[in-house]
Amino acid sequence: MWATNLKVVGIVLGTLALYTLIANKIPQVQSEVPQTLTLGANVTPEQLAAAGEKVFNGIGGCTTCHGLGTRAPNLLTDEQGAGTIGARCGKREAGKSCKQYLYESLDNPKAYIVAGYQPIMPVMTKQLSPQQIWAVIAFLESQGGAVDVTASDIPATSSTSTTSTTAGGGGSGGFAGGSTDPKAIIAAAGCLVCHKLDGQGQVIAPDLTHVGSRRNAESIRKKILDPMSSIAKGYEKLAGIMPKTFGTMMSAAQLEALAQFLAAHK
Amino acid sequence: MTQHLVLALQAAADTTRAYGEFPLIGARAAVWIAAEVHLMFAAFVLGVPMFAVVAEAIGIVGKDARYDRLAKEFTRLLLVAYSATAIWGAVLVFILATLWMKPWAYLTAVFAPSMWLYVALFFCESFTLYLYYYGWDRWKYGRPKWGHWGLGLLLNLWGTIVMFIANSWLTYMMTPPRDITPTTDPATIKLWHAIANATWMPINVHRLIANVVFGGAIVAAYASYRFLAAKTDAERAHYDWMGYVGNFIAMSALIVLPFAGYWLGREIYQYDQSMGITMMGGFMSWLWVIQAFLIAVLFLTGNYYLWIGMGRIPGAERFRPYTKWLLVVLVLGAIVWGTPHTMIADSKELAAMGGSHHPFLGALGVMSAKNTAVNLMILTTFLSFLMYRRANTRPVVPWARTGTIIQGAMFAVAAAVVLFYGIRGYFVEAIVRIGFSVYQVLAVLSCIVFVTLIDILMARGAQSLGAIQWGKMPPRSQYALFILAVTFTWLMGLMGFARSGIRQYWHVWQVVQDTSKYAATPALGYASKMISLCVLIFLTLVAFVFWLGGLAEKSTFVAPAEREGGGRRVGH
Repeated sequence: MWATNLKVVGIVLGTLALYTLIANKIPQVQSEVPQTLTLGANVTPEQLAAAGEKVFNGIGGCTTCHGLGTRAPNLLTDEQGAGTIGARCGKREAGKSCKQYLYESLDNPKAYIVAGYQPIMPVMTKQLSPQQIWAVIAFLESQGGAVDVTASDIPATSSTSTTSTTAGGGGSGGFAGGSTDPKAIIAAAGCLVCHKLDGQGQVIAPDLTHVGSRRNAESIRKKILDPMSSIAKGYEKLAGIMPKTFGTMMSAAQLEALAQFLAAHK
Repeated sequence: MTQHLVLALQAAADTTRAYGEFPLIGARAAVWIAAEVHLMFAAFVLGVPMFAVVAEAIGIVGKDARYDRLAKEFTRLLLVAYSATAIWGAVLVFILATLWMKPWAYLTAVFAPSMWLYVALFFCESFTLYLYYYGWDRWKYGRPKWGHWGLGLLLNLWGTIVMFIANSWLTYMMTPPRDITPTTDPATIKLWHAIANATWMPINVHRLIANVVFGGAIVAAYASYRFLAAKTDAERAHYDWMGYVGNFIAMSALIVLPFAGYWLGREIYQYDQSMGITMMGGFMSWLWVIQAFLIAVLFLTGNYYLWIGMGRIPGAERFRPYTKWLLVVLVLGAIVWGTPHTMIADSKELAAMGGSHHPFLGALGVMSAKNTAVNLMILTTFLSFLMYRRANTRPVVPWARTGTIIQGAMFAVAAAVVLFYGIRGYFVEAIVRIGFSVYQVLAVLSCIVFVTLIDILMARGAQSLGAIQWGKMPPRSQYALFILAVTFTWLMGLMGFARSGIRQYWHVWQVVQDTSKYAATPALGYASKMISLCVLIFLTLVAFVFWLGGLAEKSTFVAPAEREGGGRRVGH
């Protein structure tokens, strides 16, 4: 019986060892927690590119779509014979350098939709700090091209920008440096990336030009604080798209100013 | 040692911090082990009563004492396993309360009433189990027997509700309703709103089926050990039969499990596409290659057990030449299913591969190929079972030849549908391609249902080519059952890691952030060591539980003479 027991134990341990071994032989990828990015005034292109690679593979979430070959253009590998992104970015738009093109693509992704793909990319300048944005640009340039991003490209005011939760101009002081000018708040919060107002912006989300005829100030305030509290008719499929964080990113005075401003748009 | 003890006591006493620390292995490993081992026991004690009740019903209706004894033996294993489940549950609660205070406080604020209900139902379940087991011989015949069977049903009902409640907590952490934000006061969240979240029902269904698979596999491993330790032919025959039944239940439920998995995956994608992509194409992408390997082991070992089992069935030799072709299909299917596709890779790896996909193998790694492979593997396994089932009979109904031709045609049509949509999937948009998997699944399920139906009708009055010689199995067949049990358990740990890990650095997805030093989700290497450790702890304890069960009562195998005589009285 001891022989049988030993065989059973051997089979159990052997099977466990085999599975553990295989799982340890494959590439080991750990999901990291987003870290604060701090770049000094003397940062080198190599350091920028290295920092950008981490953002690209981590908090930026770029690999979620880029590199799959179906949702977004390949960036690190060839895309339809045009080469990697560093090699092709300078040729994409006449008169625009690689650096300019990449920044605008991150700041306003709908400006340059590559043929065959859908406009699904979020505005990355609202998701990442300027330091992270410029680091990603440096990394993308390094993929087949020359890195010309320098510390001078990074706005001096951004040196304290940290994580994604406060990126995009929000934080305890609110958007737009705490200004209560509704137009400045709308611009800083990026509302027009999805909404249209007075002829400007996109029509992905409801047009706000006459929002005051549909909602009063209280309803608008509630909608900003809790985007799922009510969904406009015809936009049910987009429920959940509007960030939940605006309420924590603007000051009470800004929220009130914005709600009153929009409610006046009858 | 004293220092570690002091540290542990301090961790338990200091409730002002968000997280505690555990000596030697760290807080993450402590929570992981407590949760995983508790879950494994819970899956066992939820899965086993399901087929104990089914076996008892077969015994009553079919007047076969073997099934009644089998059901009782299953239930006897449950008694001690139930205590172990409760003990590990208590360990988990204490660990959570002392090491994981921040998320624990949040969850109790949202779910407190359901936790009280959970405890109440746990009492009901425990006492129903005691009544079910200890009343077995008292309510053995006639109408009271049906009342006893009703107790078994009630036991399953309590267990299922308990599981559904626990599932609501963990699914809320994955997919909290979208209107809940980081600023939402947890005390204001309506309980039912939190329970009925996007992945609650898919997880309920998935776990219900998976528990049956798991329970069957563990019981089969128990039976295989008793087979190897048996001292008489009658005992060996009984445990051979028990192992077959356990394995049959496990493999049958396994066949439908992927469909429940698809539903869960779809709900995750619909809830938050980035979460779905993290799971399938992000840092967890390699996990699915490991999963494919484990599933391949399950299919190959399960079929291997059936093919060896045919050696003890008179008349099975006519099917033996076909098994090598079945093996070819299974191996090819496993290779395709295991082909990586959407791998997270850095620029050097992408350059080495020559693109985001492998130039040749990339075509096999897409869902079209994988769905085709897995559906053909399921069809092949079903064919193995069909051959096993028909091995010692020859149908005598006048339409037997026509029926067999129709069955063959059904297999051919199902395989053709699977292949057609698999190939067509390469030429259509992704959104259309996803819909094709439904047609493939329906073709396979229809084939299984209708072929089985025809087979049952064809078996009426069939000529016997000889009785199955239970007990005449080589020992290697029993070791195969051990591999199945270890693999099922390991796979459960792996899928648990996938489900929990896709939350990444969130306790509650995008609502409560993990700010502990263990916030980063570990790579598969670390996870695999933890899973292996948990499986080892679980199997060691289960072996002890079974040994205890053996001490309490002598083996309940039924001698052939008793099978005939005792069977007549059941149900009368």
